[in-house]
Amino acid sequence: MFGYHGRYLRVDLTTEDVVEVALPADVLQNFIGGVGLGTWLLLNEGQPLSDPLASEAPLIFAFSPLVGSPLTTSAKFAVMAKSPLTQRINDSLSSSSFAIAGKKTGYDAFVIVGAASNPTCLVIEPTGCRFVAADECWGQSSERAADLLREQLGKQFRVASIGVAGENLVRFATVSHEGRHAARGGLGAVMGSKRLKAVAVAGDRTVEYAHPHKLVDYSRELSRKSFGPATAKYRELGTATNLLTFNRLGTLPTRNFQASTFEHAEDLSPEAMLTTHSRTRASCAACTIGCEHLYSDPESPDAAVRIEYENLFALGPLCGVSDPDAVLQASRLCDELGLDTISAGATIAFAMECAERGLIDADHLRFGDAQALHQTLRSIATRQGLGELLSHGTRSASREIGQGSEDFAPHVKGLEIPGYEPRALQTMALGFAVTARGADHNRSGAYQVDFSESVDRLHASPAMIPPAIETENEASLFDSLILCKFLRGVFDDKFMAMAEMLRLTAGWDVSPDELHRTAERIVTAKKVYNIWQGWSPDEDMLPKRFLTEQLPDGTGFGATIDESQLRQLVCEYNRARGWSDEGWIPNNQLKVLQIPIPQDYPSLEGSSSATS
Amino acid sequence: MTVRVEFFGIPRQRAGLAMMQIEAGSLGAAVTQIATQFPQLAEECIHADTLHDGYLANVNGLTFTRDPSYPLNDGDTLLILSADVGG
Ligand code: SF4
Repeated sequence: MFGYHGRYLRVDLTTEDVVEVALPADVLQNFIGGVGLGTWLLLNEGQPLSDPLASEAPLIFAFSPLVGSPLTTSAKFAVMAKSPLTQRINDSLSSSSFAIAGKKTGYDAFVIVGAASNPTCLVIEPTGCRFVAADECWGQSSERAADLLREQLGKQFRVASIGVAGENLVRFATVSHEGRHAARGGLGAVMGSKRLKAVAVAGDRTVEYAHPHKLVDYSRELSRKSFGPATAKYRELGTATNLLTFNRLGTLPTRNFQASTFEHAEDLSPEAMLTTHSRTRASCAACTIGCEHLYSDPESPDAAVRIEYENLFALGPLCGVSDPDAVLQASRLCDELGLDTISAGATIAFAMECAERGLIDADHLRFGDAQALHQTLRSIATRQGLGELLSHGTRSASREIGQGSEDFAPHVKGLEIPGYEPRALQTMALGFAVTARGADHNRSGAYQVDFSESVDRLHASPAMIPPAIETENEASLFDSLILCKFLRGVFDDKFMAMAEMLRLTAGWDVSPDELHRTAERIVTAKKVYNIWQGWSPDEDMLPKRFLTEQLPDGTGFGATIDESQLRQLVCEYNRARGWSDEGWIPNNQLKVLQIPIPQDYPSLEGSSSATS
Repeated sequence: MTVRVEFFGIPRQRAGLAMMQIEAGSLGAAVTQIATQFPQLAEECIHADTLHDGYLANVNGLTFTRDPSYPLNDGDTLLILSADVGG
């Protein structure tokens, strides 16, 4: 077997039983790695309608055939579990040396079940597994915990750990390592529920590649192309440069999606911050693009803060905060506490609107108040005061607050909406509605279509369906190989390029058409998981605000989403995928795509909705 | 036709300014003028009267286009952007 070890490690934290489990070759070829492999493992290891924070809930770290190869941007891994925020499938990716060291342990994935009785660090090496007490690390930031553990275990170890938010089971806590985060969906809380402060990995087990010399040549050429104009934006300004573009196009969510432009956007832009702050650049391990831009934080001169579009938008315009230093500090706080910046910013923005409308008793919480933003971030991580209510995310908080607040709680399936205003980006609105993880710009790349000549982004139309499916399929492959999506502009034909990379690493003679089928399989398998966990068709919809309130500003002035039209698009999307109009998957499709039918999967065979 | 041109991202970095005014009746004519005025921007973003693949034009914040024959009217605003807006 090339590119893989052909096995995963299953660890039970309750019993400390550790088992090696073989991964059949056909499973690897069908699901590749990363998100695909993680989904297959969740379907095999999970329980129906389970509690994501119960001890038996599986937590998965999945690597891929490309990790450890010389292919640029391939040092990535997927963390997967049922999300305690959404109660649906959650796949978060991250990249760092943890991916390379993790695969060198000799496994293609780790499946972690059970719960330790005390704070624990799970140590995985080729020689076996150890359960190391992590009491000293409990209460520390993930970075500090990693430092302490590496001092104790040795510098060869790479550590993924949780911060205080994960320990306190905040539903949008991150899993962090080397300053990067598997951020969305609260996987840090899943670790916290297992009293698993950290996973430390080290090893020397490499895999063989099918065509090692050609792989080196191909990788060299890919690295060369990655320096070209298609990635210049990421290298020179980072994703934060989207802020001014989005503001100009009226797609920048502002003050909890009450507006689509922010009057202080120029002040927060990287173009302006470059004139007032010192900046360094960095990259994930094994990346030649280097999109990370770290700015000095005047409050903490030793700590440089990573600024990307999503943390900038969520902690800036979404909360009405215009001071760049305040946004840097909020970002640093999220890193230290282990909070997903998108969900944290969106939840606080939602609370600010509730406070301004008098729906909650929080006079201090007003749009634009940076101090209130910082204070609320801390209270969420420790779940004190208002933080307890907000630590469950906007869906849960709005259900408790009531009084119509559900209409403007900015989430789909419980996952807070990222920095793309759906009324002004209506292909993305469809993507947000249907994607298995919830409102998500990484699993649905439909915004690419809106920012193109192909569609009228302000008016939904059936022309949006094929590209919405295509970009979602494409994302599922990027996330399973795993490669950074910022490479996408570099390829002439992405599926052809991915097929070639799999030929060189895993030795598969796979055609681009077969990869389209693989993508379809992975997207469908994620939906199967959701159905298994109680999904219902009404989840595939946006909150009322987007369906009833017109955009009050920007180039999309007056735009709104027509609910019946969006329902129709969702229905046609489902049909195009071979599902029923409502989105149920016919059993014969599961067989054809070789998706495992999980234990106690609701049988829909014979129901008219399942067979259309 | 007097057209206001606004630059974003890499085009702004290469042009060294955020906006300007030009006289042009089509996207191609506008792009040609911009190329003459900003050789550094031209080198990376423009070929003859067309924007490279990684770049895109938008008229009045509404219509995305790369078509050189796309007509521009008096008072239009032309945005020159990086095409890949992922974040
Ligand atoms: S382009 Fe950016 S996100 Fe992608 S691998 Fe490189 S540094 Fe990481």
